[in-house]
Amino acid sequence: MWGLAWRNVWRHKTRSFVAGGAVAVAVVFTLVFFGFVTATMNGMVEVLTSESGHLQITHAQAKEAQDFDARLIRNAAEVEMALLKELRGVRLRRLLEVPALISGETRARGAMVVGMEQDEALGERFAREYVAAGRLPAPGSWDEIALGQALAKALQVELGDPVYVFAPGTDGWGAAAYTLVGLLDFPQTSHEIQAAYLSLEGAQELAAPGAVTRLQVHLAAERGAPTDALVEETKARATALLGEEVLVETWREASPDTAALLDMMDPVMTVFSFFIFVLAGLMVVNTIYLSLVERIREFGVILAVGADRWRVMRMVVAESLTLVLAGTAVGLLAGGLLIASWADGFRMPGFDEVMAEYGLPLVLYPSVTPVQVAVTVTFAIFTALAAALWPAWVAGRLQPVEAMRHAA
Amino acid sequence: MKPILRAVRLTKVYENEGVRTPALQGVDLEIVPGEFTAIAGPSGSGKSTLLHLLGCLDKPTAGETWLGERRTDQLDDVSRAHLRLREIGFVFQAYNLIPVLTALENAAFVLELQGVPREERNAKAMAALEALGIAELAHRRPNQLSGGQQQRVAVARALAAQPRVVLADEPTANLDSKAGLSLIELMKKLNEERGITFLFSTHDPRLLEHVKRIIRLEDGRVVADERVGAA
Ligand SMILES: Nc1ncnc2c1ncn2[C@@H]1O[C@H](COP(=O)(O)OP(=O)(O)OP(=O)(O)O)[C@@H](O)[C@H]1O
Ligand SMILES: [Mg+2]
Repeated sequence: MWGLAWRNVWRHKTRSFVAGGAVAVAVVFTLVFFGFVTATMNGMVEVLTSESGHLQITHAQAKEAQDFDARLIRNAAEVEMALLKELRGVRLRRLLEVPALISGETRARGAMVVGMEQDEALGERFAREYVAAGRLPAPGSWDEIALGQALAKALQVELGDPVYVFAPGTDGWGAAAYTLVGLLDFPQTSHEIQAAYLSLEGAQELAAPGAVTRLQVHLAAERGAPTDALVEETKARATALLGEEVLVETWREASPDTAALLDMMDPVMTVFSFFIFVLAGLMVVNTIYLSLVERIREFGVILAVGADRWRVMRMVVAESLTLVLAGTAVGLLAGGLLIASWADGFRMPGFDEVMAEYGLPLVLYPSVTPVQVAVTVTFAIFTALAAALWPAWVAGRLQPVEAMRHAA
Repeated sequence: MKPILRAVRLTKVYENEGVRTPALQGVDLEIVPGEFTAIAGPSGSGKSTLLHLLGCLDKPTAGETWLGERRTDQLDDVSRAHLRLREIGFVFQAYNLIPVLTALENAAFVLELQGVPREERNAKAMAALEALGIAELAHRRPNQLSGGQQQRVAVARALAAQPRVVLADEPTANLDSKAGLSLIELMKKLNEERGITFLFSTHDPRLLEHVKRIIRLEDGRVVADERVGAA
């Protein structure tokens, strides 16, 4: 039956090439599309978690708190020790975020002054990504500050200029003078106009000795990004360890919008490729249906010599499957080769700015999972079956005598 | 001998867009195993219709059809298909063969529908092609065969599954008279040597010289049923 189907499919070479080609294109498109979207999503998670960590630890009441004081984790050192002891191999970033008034010689602005201290690797990465000129304040320094470029411009200060920070009503000095040592370039201007970085000690001296407002836990995965399961498990351990005083959130909980967007991508991709397959399927319907009506007499003879309606319907379905699976095989091969050719990374020429603006990585590593290949093949098979439905129904209703009398 | 095919007051009226065409008007007929019978009659006399009804290809308007002990005119489509597959061989006037299959595959087609394993059906189909003298053409496609050769493949297909009766509707109509004659002679030989029952229609009077029985139809009625002394 399959041999017959195969030969019948190639009876009309051009038409079958077009329909099979459409299926192949749908398969290639779906694979490449899956590959890129997955790469983009992984990249977004990478960018996001390198900025904010896989887990964030804040004061339990930080979200409702009105005052700066209420957001402080005062026993920061203890929490840190406990974490590092329990969770081996993680990297920490400690932040003290102080709302403050910041000014140059002539102008002032409200800003979020962040004291930051971190694992060396995290610091290097931060510097590499965001330092546009100069450097970050040296760890432990009391008198160095780095500003977002936009903020520096607004304050009309340049590298080496003095910068003054006022954080009244806090437990520290409440005011201090710094030297501008670095300019930072963030993709989002709204963030850049607010950004001021001190060393953690510098910020603690200014506003809250010994305290932090936020601890980021960065998990190191063996390969690629840590799985959601690992993140959740680590969260559970951290929560058990640290108790009610603090709130431990995964990056998904801390950035619910991004997480929701990422979760939406899979269904959106699936729906998208579904429609591509619907289009290819219409061409398959056309091909199978035409080849049926052209062969009505032949089907009449097949019925006459004893094929029943189910047999004839199966023959039509077999032709559809043969055509679609041939196209799918070609598509899988072509799509696989394309994706393999990008294994070393794909960088859209001229789009670096745009990608960064949207928090996307500059270099994408498209890849497809076995599940995505399975989804693609499943779509193809459903396309074949759906495309055969109407022609098979028509074939199943043929009466042998009428079919044999049919004018070709 | 008990009849293999039987028609009782068989009536068929075609209705097309309100136009009623009576094609058969009360035909009574019996065919016993081993007969070699022609249905003769002018165009439109109902030859094809009669063969279709006897061959379970279509349902009568009234009357009965029997295949051996079994009444067939009431059966549903699928049961009739199964009967055709197991019990009846068919040869039609033209377009008998599946163009993408070789002669051998065409001859084996009914056996394939029956679910006979490949080896066995190829052996049987080959034997049938041999019986029709076209074994050497086994691997040609229909478009590489002459009309007469194509019809022999069709007869081989009908015979390969060893049906109880072979029905042929104007099997020679598309052939030149020489090819037509030799096809009929072959069929007759198979009838005589193997006792295969043939019932075929024709409007070629020269072929009638070779048959044992002639049923003449006119306007959907049997007007003569002659047993010929020949052979
Ligand atoms: N499907 C149909 N619809 C309407 N009328 C039909 C149909 N099939 C046959 N007829 C009519 O029934 C009558 C008998 O037709 P049938 O085909 O049985 O004749 P026939 O003896 O085989 O003729 P021919 O020698 O031309 O093949 C004719 O008048 C024909 O026009
Ligand atoms: Mg006829």
